[in-house]
Amino acid sequence: MSGGQADARAAVSGAVTCPFCGLACDDLAVAAGKVETRGCARATAGFARASAARRAHAVGGKPADLATAAAAAAAILRKAKAPLFHGLTAELNGVRALLALAERVGGTVDHQGSAALLANIGVARASGWAVATFAEVANRADFVLLVGADPAKNFPRFHERLIGNPKPLYRSTAPSVAYLGAEPLAPPEAMAPLQGIVGETALLPTVAALSGLLHGRQPRDVGLPIEALAAMAQGLQEARYGVIAWDLGRLPPRVAELVTEYLAGMLRHLNAKTRCVGLPLGGSGNAIGANQTALWQAGWPLRLSFADGTPRHDPWQHDGGRMLAAGEADALVWCAALAADRPPRTEAPVIALVADDVELPAPAAVEIRIGIPALDHGGEIVRADTVIAVPLHAARPSDRPGLAEAARAILAGLETG
Amino acid sequence: MLRLTGGKIVDPTQTPAERAGDLWIDGERIVAPPADGGKGAEVRDISGKLVLAGAIDIHSHIAGGKVNLGRLLSSADHRSTVEAAEEGLRGGSGLATPSTFTTGYRYAAMGYTAAFEPAMVAANARATHIEMADVPILDKGAYVMLGNDEFLLQRLAAGASQSEINDYVAWTIQATAAHAVKVVNAGGISAFKFNGRSLGIDEPGPQHGVTPRRIIQALSRAVHELGVPHPLHVHCNNLGIPGNVETTLATIEAAEGLPIHLTHVQFHSYGTEGKRKFSSAAARIAEVVNANPNVSVDVGQIVFGPTMTESGDTQAQFRNRTHASPKKWLSMDIECDAGCGLVPFRYRDKNFVNALQWAIGLELFLLIRDPWRVFLTTDHPNGGPFASYPQLVRLLMERSYREECLAQINASARKLSVVGGIAREYTLAEIAAMTRAAPARSLGLRDRGHLTPGARADLVIYEPGSDIETMFRTPVQVLKGGVEVARGGRIRSVPAGATQLVRPGYDKQIERSLKRFFDDHMTVRFGNFPLAEGEIAEAGGRIEQHACVAAGGRA
Repeated sequence: MSGGQADARAAVSGAVTCPFCGLACDDLAVAAGKVETRGCARATAGFARASAARRAHAVGGKPADLATAAAAAAAILRKAKAPLFHGLTAELNGVRALLALAERVGGTVDHQGSAALLANIGVARASGWAVATFAEVANRADFVLLVGADPAKNFPRFHERLIGNPKPLYRSTAPSVAYLGAEPLAPPEAMAPLQGIVGETALLPTVAALSGLLHGRQPRDVGLPIEALAAMAQGLQEARYGVIAWDLGRLPPRVAELVTEYLAGMLRHLNAKTRCVGLPLGGSGNAIGANQTALWQAGWPLRLSFADGTPRHDPWQHDGGRMLAAGEADALVWCAALAADRPPRTEAPVIALVADDVELPAPAAVEIRIGIPALDHGGEIVRADTVIAVPLHAARPSDRPGLAEAARAILAGLETG
Repeated sequence: MLRLTGGKIVDPTQTPAERAGDLWIDGERIVAPPADGGKGAEVRDISGKLVLAGAIDIHSHIAGGKVNLGRLLSSADHRSTVEAAEEGLRGGSGLATPSTFTTGYRYAAMGYTAAFEPAMVAANARATHIEMADVPILDKGAYVMLGNDEFLLQRLAAGASQSEINDYVAWTIQATAAHAVKVVNAGGISAFKFNGRSLGIDEPGPQHGVTPRRIIQALSRAVHELGVPHPLHVHCNNLGIPGNVETTLATIEAAEGLPIHLTHVQFHSYGTEGKRKFSSAAARIAEVVNANPNVSVDVGQIVFGPTMTESGDTQAQFRNRTHASPKKWLSMDIECDAGCGLVPFRYRDKNFVNALQWAIGLELFLLIRDPWRVFLTTDHPNGGPFASYPQLVRLLMERSYREECLAQINASARKLSVVGGIAREYTLAEIAAMTRAAPARSLGLRDRGHLTPGARADLVIYEPGSDIETMFRTPVQVLKGGVEVARGGRIRSVPAGATQLVRPGYDKQIERSLKRFFDDHMTVRFGNFPLAEGEIAEAGGRIEQHACVAAGGRA
């Protein structure tokens, strides 16, 4: 009768989710505990993290049980005046619990991937746009303009899943693909994209010129044959369902935001006559999910602070990297579950809530070794297209605490200590 | 056991609807007076006070992807309304687009014990339920949107049988842990993806050739035959367009006498008379609603001031972008399934159109006679924030106050509206019907919305005497399941509410064609689409399942 399963986390082979990039492909196969990753090197590396040796929770480098480590973390946070919660690569329920802890101690919260995210949401907040989710792109797009990095760099199966999918609902042939970026695109052979190779510094004026063309203005020389740019403009104008996808993570955030503003303006303009939608690419390490959790719990996006008792957002002031560099944080809670990143350098005491394969350069004040979502435990993460939370399944279930359990243990330590 | 003594009980399910008497509470339920006279019971004297059941909001956008986008686009709202974390309470921000904890606390402090998110995108169901787990105190549920999903449109175009449609609707309700089904601009959101800018009720859609009328027929019948308690919840086509009254009346026809709920009907009651070609058609709508007991509505009253409009109706929202204040808009096409559009608005009392919208809402409230079939909503936050409900109640209960407010609005709009001539003042029992008993009955929540033995002890104690708005804004005390959750506007405890849902049965055969559709076209595997049994619990939620009753049955 029920559409669901008895065990929320049972992995069904052929429907195993990979949480290691924002595409969150959920069609992986699993056999005898081994995940077959459909040729994706990033997924292979991610699932190989299962082989890391187990490390003990520790306080000051000495092994401790979870309760002891949590109590030690609580003691640090109780004294801290400006604790920073950073990293934040975790599943939704882990982020929810960590936000509760951060609010309790007046902390500041940031995600390691928030710079690229903020360039996008800055534009969404200021002017808005028209966007779409993966299935719309995969089933309708007849013209796709890619801007910035080749999507395959950070989203290895992008071309296969969104451009070259074999059975689209509403297009008869593969879409025409155009590309504006610094390095030649490396799509599958069947695809013959219209390539506009422009160096990183030239991307902004080139996109501005393309926008000008759409508005009927002849651009000045932008280091790209005008015919190529005109063909892109024509492709967008004549498409029945055009798509502009961008990954600008390698640009300086301020430049990325300006490029994005031009792209958003093009989208707003094009939709007056035809359909054209944006696909901002990003969100690895569940940055989108973490941001959404911040929005629903606090009403503000990331780079969020509870320092004065009420939630406040400021993309500069609450930038975790900036705070550490400026010595503003007097405790660092570093969370690394979906990604294996080490905590940034800091003089402040570090509470490391990290997976077993995260090697700490020096013993942290407190180490709590948490599970890796999709390996040790399940959970949910949000895809780069922001709407869909996909379920994760434990490929190799273990008793490692999840981030939620670790955060709740520290919270309990605060109440009792 | 607790005995509330000396108060006046206002419960429109009982006769008389207002009477002096005692209420007995044992644990989380209201019970009959005990045979032993209640020895040992705690007695609380509430002499001079009123007791009503906890209020239930049948249509309020409280969670989900577009609500979160609304928060993102509403910086000013979140800067001007901030809530500090306190002992045992989480902080938050926002008036029009409040964060989740703030939403739960604010509703509870106002005497609301349940609220329903009316526009859950099926593909967003998992995220919506996890978010709703962070809405404290309130019982909540979600209506899943159908009618622009490519699977349904394809099957209707192919001439699918009603039983196949029923199976698909039931599967969707179960997969998304929904309580009811909503259709938004039937076929119009899909049409927009094919560059269709409007879709009339009898106009074949651009790709599938299916008319909105056919979609509404099929879905209202499915909901009825499956025994889902709440009728098909309909956001009509042509929202906001002068003359859309014809579409609204045709939509009622499309239900062919089956139960149908028209939501935020204020936005769908517009005529084309007058020199500005914009007029009230509230009287025509009210007349048809009065004559057709299968029809219920909620109003979607507008409230003057800034707000955020967030809707599944991308087609209408794209059209409305020219009215944005501040000037920005956001639109999203979602998973060959649905969409969402956001446009910030400021309703101004001196603006002719806004003033007339305000008057049209009041006309609907006052001209529809049966308070069991017209519910108090602002379509939060689309017409205004839910925090304005106490003021709306005053507008309905106090003619002199209504006249005062009417005098303030745009003069041309005032002259065109019949509101000034309407003497009706809602009684307390009528307010209790439209905000408690009637939503509970419509949603199949048998043990809520009333105060008879067996009901959940969700109840609100008011102090009469103060003005009506103050009385409703700040109840003396609010109990949820017998536990005090608010007193004098302050939150006293934070029990978790339960997710309300129904689980209509279906023939598993439908899963085969769905699996094929997902395998061929979708970007999530079929097995990963439904919420799994334990996911809501794992997020900290709790499920309360309601019965699907025989077609036409009433709780």
